[in-house]
Amino acid sequence: MSTPARRRLMRDFKKLQEDPPAGVSGAPTEDNILIWNAVIFGPHDTPFEDGTFKLTIRFTEDYPNKPPAVRFVSKMFHPNVYADGGICLDILQNRWSPTYDVSAILTSIQSLLDEPNPNSPANSLAAQLYQQNKREYEKKVSAIVEESWMNE
Amino acid sequence: MKVTIQKWIGVASWKWQVNDDNCGICRMPFDSCCPECKLPGDDCTIVWGECSHCFHVHCILKWLQSQNYQDQTCPMCRQSWKFKTH
Ligand SMILES: [Zn+2]
Ligand SMILES: [Zn+2]
Ligand SMILES: [Zn+2]
Repeated sequence: MSTPARRRLMRDFKKLQEDPPAGVSGAPTEDNILIWNAVIFGPHDTPFEDGTFKLTIRFTEDYPNKPPAVRFVSKMFHPNVYADGGICLDILQNRWSPTYDVSAILTSIQSLLDEPNPNSPANSLAAQLYQQNKREYEKKVSAIVEESWMNE
Repeated sequence: MKVTIQKWIGVASWKWQVNDDNCGICRMPFDSCCPECKLPGDDCTIVWGECSHCFHVHCILKWLQSQNYQDQTCPMCRQSWKFKTH
């Protein structure tokens, strides 16, 4: 069955394969193009470096007029990521635009890793450490980086 | 020598004047129609906003309908969307 949302997702997937952005990858699951698995590699020169963080992206038939639900499957320690992996990022909520595609979503989340927004904390401990105790923050982050290699 | 033009056959081709080859919303080329329509034709036209961004009419209408009336914005530049009238 081909709907506008599914056709758009096929184009997103083709673009991701033909013009892959650095440090992110994603593909639809075999039996449902509305559900994708993705991986974001921690950016260089950040505490997240070398981490391989897995995410799921759930689209609805309203895509691209409504944003997908994106969450980390890998454990994350970040001021804007909830305990259940949900992400607090404006472009996935009230600043969504239908011109975004999967590649834009993943690269925005990748840049959020090193540029947290402490004004909308989803994890108050992470937000507090990020602002007041960078050493402790980086220690917690490197623990989840190591954990990200284990649940292969 | 005097040349008199006796017959003039004008041949012209046309193309949409657009800032991109693809609609930013559905990512389909402007030469073809939006994913809701089967055939490129008169009812799947391209429309421009006052900000000069353009989309398939069906794509921008669907986006505007999914927004609150107060904050109907251009998906490209987030200025409030107004259809450009000629
Ligand atoms: Zn379109
Ligand atoms: Zn159409
Ligand atoms: Zn615009």
